[in-house]
Amino acid sequence: MNPLAGADAVARLLAAVPKAEIASSPVKDYPTIRLAAPADLLLAARLLKGDLGFMYLEMVTAVDWLGPVNLGGFVCGGNSNPLSRKPAAPPVSPVPGPGVSYRPMLDLLWSFGNLGENRKIFLRLELPRDRAEVPSLTSLFAAADWQEREAFDLFGIRFTGHPNLIKILTPDFLQGHPLRKDYVHAKDRYDEE
Amino acid sequence: MTAPEKQVFPGPVLNHHSGKLLIGTRYWPTEIWRRPWSLPRYRAGALWLVGIILGIAAIGFGIGELAVWGEKILVWLGRCGLPAPAVAWVWVLIKLCCVIGVIVANGLWAVWWERKISAHIQSRMGPMYAGGFHGWAQTIFDTIKLLLKEDVTPAAADQAMHLLAPIVAIAPCIIAFAPVLFGNELAAAKLDMGVLYIFAFASISVIGVVMAGWASGNKYSLLGGLRAAAQIVSYELPRGFSIVPVLMFAGSLDLAVIDRAQAGYWMGCIPRWFVFYPVVGQIAFLFFLIASVAETNRTPFDIPEAESELVAGFHTEFSGMKWSMFFLMEYGYVLLSSFLLAVFFLGGGASPLPWLVGIPSWIWMLSKAMLMMFVFLWFRWTFPRLRVDQLMDFNWKFLLPWSFANIGLAGVLVYLHLRGWGLR
Amino acid sequence: MKSEALIVTGPGLEMDTMFVNLGPQHPSTHGVLRLGLTLAGEVITKAFPDIGYLHRGTEKLMEARNYHQCVILTDRWDYCSAMPNNLAFCLSAEKLMAVAIPPRAQALRVIMCELNRIASHLIFLGTYGIDIGAFTPFLYAFREREMILDLYEKCCGARLTYNYIRLGGVAADIDSDWVAKCREFLEYFKPRLDEYDTLLSFNPIFLARTQEVGLIPKEAAVGWGLSGPNLRGSGVSYDVRKSEPYCGYEAYDFDVPVGTHGSCWDRYFCRVQEMRQSVRILEAALTKLPSGELMAKGLAKVPRPPAGEAYAHVEASRGDLGIYLVSDGGVAPYRIHVRAPCFINLAILQEILIGKKVADVIAVLGSFDIVLGEVDR
Repeated sequence: MNPLAGADAVARLLAAVPKAEIASSPVKDYPTIRLAAPADLLLAARLLKGDLGFMYLEMVTAVDWLGPVNLGGFVCGGNSNPLSRKPAAPPVSPVPGPGVSYRPMLDLLWSFGNLGENRKIFLRLELPRDRAEVPSLTSLFAAADWQEREAFDLFGIRFTGHPNLIKILTPDFLQGHPLRKDYVHAKDRYDEE
Repeated sequence: MTAPEKQVFPGPVLNHHSGKLLIGTRYWPTEIWRRPWSLPRYRAGALWLVGIILGIAAIGFGIGELAVWGEKILVWLGRCGLPAPAVAWVWVLIKLCCVIGVIVANGLWAVWWERKISAHIQSRMGPMYAGGFHGWAQTIFDTIKLLLKEDVTPAAADQAMHLLAPIVAIAPCIIAFAPVLFGNELAAAKLDMGVLYIFAFASISVIGVVMAGWASGNKYSLLGGLRAAAQIVSYELPRGFSIVPVLMFAGSLDLAVIDRAQAGYWMGCIPRWFVFYPVVGQIAFLFFLIASVAETNRTPFDIPEAESELVAGFHTEFSGMKWSMFFLMEYGYVLLSSFLLAVFFLGGGASPLPWLVGIPSWIWMLSKAMLMMFVFLWFRWTFPRLRVDQLMDFNWKFLLPWSFANIGLAGVLVYLHLRGWGLR
Repeated sequence: MKSEALIVTGPGLEMDTMFVNLGPQHPSTHGVLRLGLTLAGEVITKAFPDIGYLHRGTEKLMEARNYHQCVILTDRWDYCSAMPNNLAFCLSAEKLMAVAIPPRAQALRVIMCELNRIASHLIFLGTYGIDIGAFTPFLYAFREREMILDLYEKCCGARLTYNYIRLGGVAADIDSDWVAKCREFLEYFKPRLDEYDTLLSFNPIFLARTQEVGLIPKEAAVGWGLSGPNLRGSGVSYDVRKSEPYCGYEAYDFDVPVGTHGSCWDRYFCRVQEMRQSVRILEAALTKLPSGELMAKGLAKVPRPPAGEAYAHVEASRGDLGIYLVSDGGVAPYRIHVRAPCFINLAILQEILIGKKVADVIAVLGSFDIVLGEVDR
């Protein structure tokens, strides 16, 4: 196969894509590259698929960095036994760990695999929550079809150029995008009184 | 010295509330596999199986012996002072009741038998509770349930056609039974062209099936009905042509003549059944069997009601007695095919061994038919299902040409016979 | 791809099509999948898979639960083989926490996952037989699966949703009786596989129904992101157990069966052969089962992995199951994404069904071995 797809795939990618950099918070144990702008995505994907032999789009997903959801009594810090005499545990407060900053951004993640040489590479791209729009990869990877629809459905990311960008998992009447951290469920006809 | 009792794994199951034993010993099949005959249940099961077969034979004996009373009833009717046409009508009515009785009783019996056979093929037990012994009353209760069940006609259905379809399907089945031999000379009607009659009426039922598919207002039903039409009409041809050799050998369309033609033995021990005629007989038998399976819509040819594809095919939208009419029809045709196979190929009422000729012919007929019915059920629980186009290919490109060739072969055999080199 | 549709064109010859709604209530959609099919006669001209009827939002639910509570939710994805789900989640969290798993726990994880692979492939074998019209293999397959479930019951008390593989190890130990029983099962099971081959795999009707149907070329299989036996059926030898070994899979000797031309039968037979390989792995694992601890030392009761991101994937029964886990240092995972193999495998359906007959839809759909719990999550 392609001899270049080995260790210097990352270097090739960094050289070819302007302003791309090694991500500061990588996916543990895997090479992770942060793109600077949505326009770079197709360039990087074409390079990965064409020259570097990464034919396998493994995953398309996103993270909403707005801040954690309300743990709403599901999670107790220490003592969760209601019969215990000890005072109930204080509710867990969201304290970002070191190196985590909550911000109104969506962090998109693509994972590409090179099955022949057993390599994996992650691309990521940060987008503002209210203008989440990236080019679709469906023209290059058929696997992007449903995964992008899923990200659209659950995060509200618009993939421009997707042939059939419609909801996939949630019902048609559901308002909003459930995996966004500020999602609030609006009561519908299936909710209990 | 006795070995310590083996720890059963994972142990008996008790009801949490009452503490009642639910499952005593959960045998792993590994244990059964090692020494099956050491298990008392296994031995008892084998005994029961022998008992059932003997019981069936006894019932056949009983029914057959009763048939002799028929003539006496006719004579008695004449003596009662009824006018001759009335006697004839009453006589036909009695015979009609008998035939319908056969079909209905066959429905009850065949469903139970199929459930038991499928269960034992699949290492289960099947119905075990209703009635006591091995769930013998299961189908009777099922029938009561079906009679009491709400008869639903979908809103999208064509009401009149929906009602008519099961009737159109079942009526030819009953009519077709008229000349069927239940023993030597034991038939409701003696017809010179019995074979033609049976084939003619048996092929009318497909109209009912297509009507059912069309009238249901359901796309799956429609597909099922269309498939049924294509399949049954196509398989009529090889089915008819495959028995042409039999008709050539026997020289008649009368079932009784065909039956009589197979009496006797070659070399004193090999019965002169048509299935034993070299090559021709076996090919004709296999083709007729295959075509009959296809005619009765059973696996591997059950595409009109393929449940994994078409839900239930043409009878998806039928319930209660309307639905059971279709099943009565299906099992009726299975029985019809079994009897035809027995008459055409297995010597009808003839005994397979010379020293067993004392046993009445209806026992032989019934046991041969039941054997063939078992083959039908066995097929169903062994084979996967063919696809529509494969089914048609198989019919038009294999069965039909080779059944023509078989007729040619039969001609050669008959020619040799006429020249004096034949088998007889 | 070869199309079987005969399209006649010309004025006045427009073919009338029929829309058939296959599912969500249908005997052979394996759950609540809905397929909108446009038919010309019996040939499909357009297929639209519609999913989401079983969407429970586990990814969202997990954001408000601690890590131990999340393991319970993972059981509900692919309920036919829940052990690899537990494992994938635990591996991703353990990667973040950098926990060393004791060797006995590693071996137990392998044993349980391989048993579950057999159980899951048995379900596939049985249900695929039913899809094609053979009822009997289903009961045989379930008879064998029952024994595996008995083994699970004996070990961890559950038969379907195990919650057995926990963060840092496994929940319960096995004893010598269990090992003996497991060996007994394997000895019993090996000849049964040959029986399935005679009954179903090499049945001429079964071959005719599946061998030339649903062909997926190598490139299409990789492009659509298929994984597991569906990918290997097309001849791509990709198995996470080989490419990125976890739980000490590199220590076991096993082959990765691959198909030749990606037909339904290839996918089916890959699974049958995988069962044999699983038996091999199990025998080796039972032989060299190390003794020792079941849980890693020093784990907090309520784990708070350090902030960071981890991706762990395992070869689950139905393909490459990946968990992308983001932690912000809190008690609950900040974000979890499941790379559900069934979900991604299913997407190719809209392409390969075109030109097939209705009966083939079932054969193709069945050969993907989907579990809607995982498709919809």
